[in-house]
Amino acid sequence: MRKFLNNMYLASGYLSGFCILLITLLIVSQVIGRLFGFIVPSVEDFSGYSLAAATFFGLAYTFREGGHIRVSLAIKFLPASSRRIQELFILAVALLLCAFMSFYTIHLSWESYIFEEVSYGYIPVPIWLPQVPVALGMVMFTIAIADDFFCTLLGQTPNYLKHEDELDVESGLGGDN
Amino acid sequence: AQWHMPTPYGDSNHPTKIAYQFAEEIKEKTNGELDITVHSGASLVKHPEIPRAVKTGQVQMGEVFIGIMGNTHPIFKHDNIPFLATNYDDAKKLWNAAKPEMQKQLNKEGMTLLYSVAWPAQSLYSKDAVNSLADLEGSRMRAYSPSTSRLADLMGTTPTTIQVPEIPQAFSTGIIDAMITSPSTGANGQAWDYVKNYTDIQAWIPKNVVVVNTRSFKRLDKGTQKIILDAAANAEKRGWEIVQSEAKKDTQTLIDHGIVVAQPSETLLKELAVIGETMEAEWLAESGPEIKALIENYKK
Amino acid sequence: MDTLILSTVLAVALLLMLASGFWVALSLVGVGVLGLVLSGNDQIGLLFATATWGASTSWSLTALPLFIWMGEILFRTRLSEDLFKGLSPLLSGLPGRLLHVNVLSCGIFAAVSGSSAATAATIGRMTLPELKARGYSERMAVGTLAGSGTLGLLIPPSIILIVYGVAAEVSIGRLFIAGALPGLLLVTLFMGYTACWALLNKDELPKNSDEKISAKDKILALQKLFPIVGLIVFVLGSIYGGLTTPTEAAALGVVGALFLAFASKALTRKSFLESLQGAVKSSCMIGLILVGAHFLTLAMGFLGIPKSLAFWISEMSLSPVELLLYLTVLFVVLGCFLDGISVVVLTTAVVLPMVQQAGIDLLWFGIYIVLVVEMSQITPPVGFNLFVIQALTGKDILYVARAALPFFLLILFAVVLITWFPQIVTFLPTNMTGG
Ligand code: NA
Ligand code: NA
Repeated sequence: MRKFLNNMYLASGYLSGFCILLITLLIVSQVIGRLFGFIVPSVEDFSGYSLAAATFFGLAYTFREGGHIRVSLAIKFLPASSRRIQELFILAVALLLCAFMSFYTIHLSWESYIFEEVSYGYIPVPIWLPQVPVALGMVMFTIAIADDFFCTLLGQTPNYLKHEDELDVESGLGGDN
Repeated sequence: AQWHMPTPYGDSNHPTKIAYQFAEEIKEKTNGELDITVHSGASLVKHPEIPRAVKTGQVQMGEVFIGIMGNTHPIFKHDNIPFLATNYDDAKKLWNAAKPEMQKQLNKEGMTLLYSVAWPAQSLYSKDAVNSLADLEGSRMRAYSPSTSRLADLMGTTPTTIQVPEIPQAFSTGIIDAMITSPSTGANGQAWDYVKNYTDIQAWIPKNVVVVNTRSFKRLDKGTQKIILDAAANAEKRGWEIVQSEAKKDTQTLIDHGIVVAQPSETLLKELAVIGETMEAEWLAESGPEIKALIENYKK
Repeated sequence: MDTLILSTVLAVALLLMLASGFWVALSLVGVGVLGLVLSGNDQIGLLFATATWGASTSWSLTALPLFIWMGEILFRTRLSEDLFKGLSPLLSGLPGRLLHVNVLSCGIFAAVSGSSAATAATIGRMTLPELKARGYSERMAVGTLAGSGTLGLLIPPSIILIVYGVAAEVSIGRLFIAGALPGLLLVTLFMGYTACWALLNKDELPKNSDEKISAKDKILALQKLFPIVGLIVFVLGSIYGGLTTPTEAAALGVVGALFLAFASKALTRKSFLESLQGAVKSSCMIGLILVGAHFLTLAMGFLGIPKSLAFWISEMSLSPVELLLYLTVLFVVLGCFLDGISVVVLTTAVVLPMVQQAGIDLLWFGIYIVLVVEMSQITPPVGFNLFVIQALTGKDILYVARAALPFFLLILFAVVLITWFPQIVTFLPTNMTGG
């Protein structure tokens, strides 16, 4: 189970990276196309969809790596016991919120399927297709939060904290950007 | 009740001004019972999401550019077929012919048609003067939809996708040399800074429609429903008047700022008419019999 | 519920959530949900889905992960080392000598990097140990780095300008051009201050002046600058030469960075994957914040808060300068607790209508907001440049913040200058794009 989950988080990161790569390739092909006088259809649409997929696929991975920023100014001064309760509390709230968000991103995709919605660009794409990665990414994110919630409940340190505490140069890069 | 009505374009555009007046009229006649907040400039919901937001009842009303729904049903494409209706009387006639079918399709999606607002006719902006299509050969023309892209193709130019905010830069750096859009868009975007010629080809007259969520509408009492429909009729009437004066005013603005405004030559008109026929035929080939009937009806 | 009470409740809720360590992006979603619940809306989930889909597929935003990735690739090359070695011989004549290398390297690196933390980290990793080894004042080394790292946001390309451009519907290409002169202004201010400081504090500089450098060595050193100057010309040149839009330039920048990494033998399977993972982390973090902010904006629209606030401000009939004064204070205070992107996305919904109401040019305001956000990068307790430098030097954050204080004041001075002479911002965009 542990191994499966860890693989899933890693896969979420790789999928997201792949989508960023895809955006690069799509846009470069558009520039090249323009130089040689042919048009690559619907690049805006497809790179937009890849952007959504990149953002949502990577949520779980980013969460595990402590990449989602928060203000730790006040909680830093809490004594260890209260700190654990505080982390449990925010994890529980996050879990509820993300379950809600997951449900509705799934609903979005399902509704687009029922409504047979298509994009309005050159190539009419059934909109539910690019919406599936958003829903999938949101679900993986929710699982990652649930994972850390139960770990914390069992007295372990949540995974994101392990990485947050080692604020090195590279996680600083994840900062303001 | 408090209703929300997202519109895609900003406050300076006449469809948005009409939307404000429409909401105001309803509020007044219902003695404030129905208060519609207009959220202009896609500030509440982004443009492509507006039909869906109305359909699913996230908002009760919304305004949308008909062309944006072109891929969902061929009827929505009637609005963007070049050289089918090239003056406001014809455009009104075309709208009346298309209305029942539009109504039917929107109803299917849980929306009720209230009114439409036309944009000024779409004409050609270019770096150099255009007397015939040969003058455009090898240039790059802005395209933003399947039909504008096809049109650019047929005009012998390379269709190039540019988003609205990037138009000035695209012109001044030579990514595009021509575009087809309304005199209002040109005047609002200070087209004189980057383009010198305007040929008044009046290719087509696109429209926005304002729709209401059918369920929300039906929940209202008959009296309020009538007030809305009356206000909609007033808005549509006002729209057809305003659009013509807007077009004149904005064309004059272009002239005042040194853009050369030319009437299209006979040659150009003939060439464009041929393109119009091609695109109409292509459209009809992908549509059902009801659209063919509609066009026959319009051409009578 | 009364708009004023509602706004207060929501603002307090947001502060509480943030203070309790709740993730910034999720706090935004949470407050949006709360606002809609309080207003009795029964379509919250659908609205969230609509906002999410609209916010996450925007074409202009696709440049964001690309510029981030480009920075991540360059971070793993020898580029910063070359910059240092190329610039040091050239600047040895100026009072303050190698301290200027800090400023200039940051300025140059900023022209290929979209973020200030990445700029400070990449340059600082190289320059700080060198400066320390040669006996320069550590405080000044840290200060110049903290200050000029912020140039990453202002000198194009800039991630925050992309975010602002999307929110305010201002052309990103024009924003990029507009950032160039203010960026040069800051470089000048920083170098001027450094020179003055050096003249007044001779004892905090290394006693033995560096050995005389021959003209030949200077030319040899210049060669080290070719790759990065080439990349800058490639990226910015393709935008202003009319080959590409900013989004496309970002994609070309990635290709260029990969090429540089390949040419300098820094491109391995490992470094490639690491750079991509770094890009994933940053862009997912920012992406989710943007989704949250967009949803919050939508909720605020339903509640009518921005309109009421804009109306309220217009009732007070503030002059534009007064309005800017209040906004500067607001942004600096917010910037004490939030990162720059969050400040911009959080406030645009409420602030932009007011700004427009006051007749302030949105293009100019974009540069103004970036300058103010730059200041917030070097104010404690939350300032990402401070974090980065803290991690580099091991000094505590207050020490770094004190060292950066003169540069904070210099940026403030730049804000005053562009308010006084708006042409500093608008001159290039009006003359280069014709409008
Ligand atoms: Na930059
Ligand atoms: Na700060």
